[in-house]
Amino acid sequence: MVAQITAIVIFIVMFILIITEKFEKHYITLACGLLTLVAVFGICMQDFGAMWDTINLKSIFTLEFWHTSGAESESGGIDWATILFLGGMMIMVEGMARVGFFNWLCRRIAKMVNYQTIPIFLAFMAMSFVLAMFIDSITVILFLASVTIELARLLKFNPVPMIMSEIFCANLGGSATMCGDPPNIIIGSNLHYSFMDFVKNTGVAALISFVFIALYFYLIMKKDLVSTGVSQEEIDKMPSPESFITDQKGFWVSLVIFICAVSLLVSHNATGLTVAFIGVLVALLTLITSGKHIPEVLKGVDYKTLLFFTGLFVVVGGLEKTGVLEIIANFISKICGDNYYLMVTIIVWVSGIASAFIDNIPFAATMVPIIKNLSAGNTSLLSTLAWSLAMGTDVGGSATPIGASANVVGTSAAAKAGHPIGWGEYCKKLAPATVIVMVISTIYICLRYVTHL
Amino acid sequence: MSQQLIIAISREFASGGREIAHMLAEKFQLNYYDRNLLDEIAEEKMGNIDRLRQFDEVPKRSFLSRTVRGISNSPEEIVANIQFEYLQKKAESGESFVIVGRCADEVLSEYSCLMKFFIFADEEAKIQRICQSRHVSEEEARNIMNRHDKHRRLYHNYYCCNQWGEAKGYDLTINATPLGIEETAEFLAAYVRKRRRDFHAGE
Repeated sequence: MVAQITAIVIFIVMFILIITEKFEKHYITLACGLLTLVAVFGICMQDFGAMWDTINLKSIFTLEFWHTSGAESESGGIDWATILFLGGMMIMVEGMARVGFFNWLCRRIAKMVNYQTIPIFLAFMAMSFVLAMFIDSITVILFLASVTIELARLLKFNPVPMIMSEIFCANLGGSATMCGDPPNIIIGSNLHYSFMDFVKNTGVAALISFVFIALYFYLIMKKDLVSTGVSQEEIDKMPSPESFITDQKGFWVSLVIFICAVSLLVSHNATGLTVAFIGVLVALLTLITSGKHIPEVLKGVDYKTLLFFTGLFVVVGGLEKTGVLEIIANFISKICGDNYYLMVTIIVWVSGIASAFIDNIPFAATMVPIIKNLSAGNTSLLSTLAWSLAMGTDVGGSATPIGASANVVGTSAAAKAGHPIGWGEYCKKLAPATVIVMVISTIYICLRYVTHL
Repeated sequence: MSQQLIIAISREFASGGREIAHMLAEKFQLNYYDRNLLDEIAEEKMGNIDRLRQFDEVPKRSFLSRTVRGISNSPEEIVANIQFEYLQKKAESGESFVIVGRCADEVLSEYSCLMKFFIFADEEAKIQRICQSRHVSEEEARNIMNRHDKHRRLYHNYYCCNQWGEAKGYDLTINATPLGIEETAEFLAAYVRKRRRDFHAGE
């Protein structure tokens, strides 16, 4: 009981400190993680086995960590696979950014549609959706928003609607794959789902939603996207997309590594290679081919996020090992009974609403053990709840300016360009879009999975 | 020999600080910047002036914003930082000007040509000014005054080490009520002239 209360207090304090932003997030989770190890496992439980299990270093030295070979390992605590995969992908993305890949891609697409506002708007939404399936949404929005602002100045249109639609589509695209959004990596690596499992399940929901959302955004935003007009002469003066490539050889190499990463992710169920293996491989390939630019690439890696994850997993491990999450799961189970429609609805909407206001990463990390408990060994129910959790946490974050990282980066870029976006303006356009996708997701999950349970 | 002169005026709400700043700008033939700074920024960036004004000199609301990889999305903070950068650019270019608010007392503190004044006034005088200009009751005027001063204090103290209105952060803090607005402006102008004479004499 004392251990449970201590674990809960540490978790709540961690959450409050994260929200207040008094200290950097990674310091908070690492300090709280250390406190969990010492106070919960060491002093209250006096269980050094549980402490060692939560640190989970031994998992790295097992074959299953790198190659599944059909075997499934049961592990809790620090999810080193997620951390290595994220780190690897960050290095790859930094390598691509260094050679000008994203700048080139955005401008190539703008040129393809002859710099026409509405086609750019639709194309950038699609590009945001597709890129976010494989690359972290922060990077996607950093590049898309800056190119959008630049094009808005040249073509004289208001960049705000376009940036907001890009933010939403990045979050939606992230829900389609295992590597698109950190909650999906946590869900996938903890519950042993493959990249293709996500594509076939949340990917379908995301794609259906994208069609509706593109139409919704087009209808509500088209009047704001009127360009005051530029001549063909001005368009011809635009710099060529190729001029943004800073290193021709590096560009092709990074493209090959990206294609390699996508291929390995798509086929990792067949090859048995784990996301940890893929992450480490693409990181090594990027570093080897970066030569003298290695320090530049490594400097861009967001190591703070990786440390944030490490501490977070320990704190959630504290809740798990002390049985707190089991109590929450039992509570949800008691409310829902055998009504799986209600269970799915609760998971999607509670995850969505919570993610709109708090960081969806700690939320997902906490919810994974809960849905494991809820399913009680029923694999069909577990996967149904996993897709519900993924859609809720990934999409819910779009509703407010603070709900997801992409929103923060996108609204910040707009404000710096002289177009600050307040809560009112943001929520007026994106909260209804979020509700639309969550309704679609709930109906989709109920019709496709719950009817067969 | 540097001829550059920057006068930073911080002020309590309805203390007459803005009028005094205007008078100083006229006396020394300097550019005057207040909210109009955002007009220039909006024009240069092709930004939305109404949206920028909405977040001008507004304290940051921490719970309504987040920071990711060192990037904050607080519109209040971003608009403030844009103005700070703009002021620094102007000062760096050698321009002389009078600036009202916007933490200029600290943002431009590295410039030796900066003179920092804080204008306050008797509460009764401020309330009377608000009642006359806004046609509101004394009660409402007091609320308006308290709200604005609270915002200014929070805004200033978030970005600056010196506390808003605390004497040691300024060259002069002056109550505009005893002398009245015009005489206070004249008094400050005399101070500026004296400082500049001494400054040039020392060169």
